[in-house]
Amino acid sequence: MLYRNPKSWQLGIARTITFIVTKDCQLACKYCYLVGKNISERMSFETAKKAIDYILGHEDKFREESVIFDFIGGEPFLEIDLIDQICDYLKTEMYRLNHHWFNSYRFSFSTNGINYHEKKVQDFIKKNASHVSIGITIDGTEKKHDMNRVYKLTERGSYKDVVKNIPLWLEQFPNAGTKVTVSSHDLPYIVESVLHLYSLGIHEVNINVVFEDVWQDGDNTIFEQQLIKLADIIINQGYYKDYACSFFSENIGKPMDREWDNNNWCGAGKMLSVDAAGNFYPCTRFAQYSLRDKKALIIGNVETGINENLLRPFLTLDRCTQSPEECLDCEVASGCAWCQGENYDAAQTNTIYQRATAICKMHKARVRANNYYWNKLFRKLELEGKRDEFEKNKKESNPTIC
Amino acid sequence: MLEYLIIQLDDTSTSYCHYKIGKKERRLIPLEMLKAGIKFGMLENLMIQFVYPDYKLPDDYAEAIETIDHSKIVSSLCENEVLKAEADVIIFHEWTELSLAQLDEKKSYVLRTAKADLFDRYLFLKDVISKVMRLNIVITDVETFTEQDFEKYKQILHTLSEHIEKEYAAGKAPQFNILTDRMMLDKMNNCNAGASNITLAPNGKFYVCPAFYYENEEDSIGDLEHGLDIKNPQLYKLEFAPICRHCDAYQCKRCIWLNRKTTLEVNTPSHEQCVVAHLERNASRELSDNIRKHGTFMLEIDIKGIDYLDPFDKREEW
Repeated sequence: MLYRNPKSWQLGIARTITFIVTKDCQLACKYCYLVGKNISERMSFETAKKAIDYILGHEDKFREESVIFDFIGGEPFLEIDLIDQICDYLKTEMYRLNHHWFNSYRFSFSTNGINYHEKKVQDFIKKNASHVSIGITIDGTEKKHDMNRVYKLTERGSYKDVVKNIPLWLEQFPNAGTKVTVSSHDLPYIVESVLHLYSLGIHEVNINVVFEDVWQDGDNTIFEQQLIKLADIIINQGYYKDYACSFFSENIGKPMDREWDNNNWCGAGKMLSVDAAGNFYPCTRFAQYSLRDKKALIIGNVETGINENLLRPFLTLDRCTQSPEECLDCEVASGCAWCQGENYDAAQTNTIYQRATAICKMHKARVRANNYYWNKLFRKLELEGKRDEFEKNKKESNPTIC
Repeated sequence: MLEYLIIQLDDTSTSYCHYKIGKKERRLIPLEMLKAGIKFGMLENLMIQFVYPDYKLPDDYAEAIETIDHSKIVSSLCENEVLKAEADVIIFHEWTELSLAQLDEKKSYVLRTAKADLFDRYLFLKDVISKVMRLNIVITDVETFTEQDFEKYKQILHTLSEHIEKEYAAGKAPQFNILTDRMMLDKMNNCNAGASNITLAPNGKFYVCPAFYYENEEDSIGDLEHGLDIKNPQLYKLEFAPICRHCDAYQCKRCIWLNRKTTLEVNTPSHEQCVVAHLERNASRELSDNIRKHGTFMLEIDIKGIDYLDPFDKREEW
């Protein structure tokens, strides 16, 4: 059975509400920003129900046309029974309340894919067929994947346990993309990893470098070389026709106007996360298990609701107010992203208004490789007389960062 | 740009703003530290405001203070009558104290009040406004305002506005911060803690304002020995306050401490602070219009009609 492409559903008009159903995971990925994972913080149905009652009972505060109920962990499918119960309750309540989200909702999952094949997970997918979106994270080749995505006790790589579920996943979600994260020591494996994912049948590879300050001298050069090599292969072998890699985007690397390009990039505050304790967060990245150096930024809880005053900084935040002058003057600013949670965690004070710039050199390397990619591709297409055809049919990748 | 240095002479120095004094035991700033603070102010070209405790300071402290041009902020409860007579600003913490006080028509006064007391006793303020050069009201629990409170506050402002109009019609020009300040302003005139003023506490460390000291002594922004070290200093400036830089409630205190307390960000005010400031702004507009019925008045200041009380609600239009 085919299910819908999960990524771009109702982009921009859907509210994302995240249930952190567990802070446990089978894996201990080396780049994982969830520094406080544990086995004890599992959400109870009672807490989930209170969150749902609050959210659906305050339609005036949640006016978006559609909703994405997102389930994350840790590994969300460790709690498939709870998730099934939550989703049943959501559907029943939206129907009972004649809520405007009924028939305009999605259940979304980011999973490590290890127990994707299990009966309970598969039963859930079938039961919620037209409303479910699932992304499996696979980092590329076995070597690259297993460098980071290892089991927490044995440190054994998880590649084999994930890759066996990819055919089933692609059968059910043929247009699904995967999310790849790149850190310092796996930079040399970008090319082989992207090509490997293509070879598995994954047509959309959403890939990003981590925002954290992990980069070493020379990493930008390795990154640029990898991207140029990847560009050559994608163009020379024609992958650009049917495959996408989010590293290559036409829209990055331009100066940005202080007045007209002043929107905040990140959606923190427009989203809502709830954890096992019943606390609300502007995004999961502000929960304690995501933070290295700062206290959790809690904006309310299931008993008392959301403190609207605590959302004001998020909803009025703009690019220029949080960016240092070097970013505002940057000639290649567009496409340089940030994570509000990482900004908060890395800031000198307890503020979301100090933009972290650890990825500066990496972004500039990406821009140079992008310039190479698009110059080379467009010249080839023009020489072949296929530029117009390409423009009409080109495959867009999603700007997936989080 | 820094312009003012506030020196808390003692841990029990009077509060002159929203915050409560968080310490009950006396801790007088060491004399050498006081002198170093004064020297810092001179070197940085800062106007110094001394905030006094209620007990009489030793003579050598008074001598040190007189070595620099300064302002004195003193509580009405201060036992030193000579100091009170010299004070530039007298702070009242109780309405009863205010009602019993001998007021000086050439002095400025601050009344710190809870909203409940203001709502009960505001009519008494008519008498005070007419007797003094300036009266500032500081509502100490502004963050607790409800919709009903906003409505009540609007009525109070209207009533007091009628009184001030009569005073103007009689040729007087009383200053009452929540009604007359906005009439005179053509740009923001906020507290500006952290940007144009900082505080030296009795422990020899600098703070954004006394409230930050009382809330957490560890929250300093430098000390006398090493100088100032303000992290993210831009966030105390108006240009880096997304709501405030679009606002024309110019008289608003824009209290940095209340901002952080209510929204966790020093540059973002709460809904309550914004609505209270806009009720004052709108009442000032009405007062200004009414005064003009009696003659020409501040024609260069045009307070426009608006359809909101919280600029946050208009953020899509920025």
